[in-house]
Amino acid sequence: MSDEPFRRSPTGITVSIPPLLRSWLIAQAQAAAAGAVQLGDPVHRRLLGPIDPTEDHDDPLTELQRQFAVEGPLSLLVATAEATEISEEEAEQWIQGLQLILAASAARLAVVTEDDVAALDEVQHGELTTIQALISLLIDALDG
Amino acid sequence: MDEFETGALGGTDTAQRLDTPWEVVLWNDPVSLISLVVRVLRTIFGYPKDKAEQLTMIVHNEGKAVVWTGDKETATSYCVALHGYALSATIQPAR
Repeated sequence: MSDEPFRRSPTGITVSIPPLLRSWLIAQAQAAAAGAVQLGDPVHRRLLGPIDPTEDHDDPLTELQRQFAVEGPLSLLVATAEATEISEEEAEQWIQGLQLILAASAARLAVVTEDDVAALDEVQHGELTTIQALISLLIDALDG
Repeated sequence: MDEFETGALGGTDTAQRLDTPWEVVLWNDPVSLISLVVRVLRTIFGYPKDKAEQLTMIVHNEGKAVVWTGDKETATSYCVALHGYALSATIQPAR
């Protein structure tokens, strides 16, 4: 990753991340979106489990809103992953999309506790820390 | 749900349930960054930095925190917004 993958510009946020990382992000976003719609998939349970734990599922309107809240940022991330500049609004959705990817990756790796994180191998751990770094750097660029 | 009073027929008293304040509970997860959680609480609830940081540390140290209390519809909206950032949140009737 370059020193400044995200930099504020007069018109938005400049994105300077390597092509391989962009491709990886697209694949991760697509995998998260695919997992989210598969009933029984750990990604679905993590991203779309009922918000009232005493119920089996959300009411239809809430379910729809939540599906949109997952699909929207992930779709936008895929659509703009190759862009060299994104607007502030898109950057906010990138943060949401990256968080969704992070949660989906953690769900796939069965990470629930700090101990689970500690038990990951180097590659798995690197996957999570890469996403966390992107989130942190994008927040810095947006708010800094 | 024993926190609800039951009606004469033994069912849940709907009016009582509708009047009951609901809580938005934010749960700790081991991968979301503290800085992200603070930012999201400020963005969604409009909390000042101090309050957002305090709530985030309760979540981090105690595993969960009630981050908002009020009517069920608004609690649901806030919960949906938190899920938009992939944060683990649920709603429950206030105790």
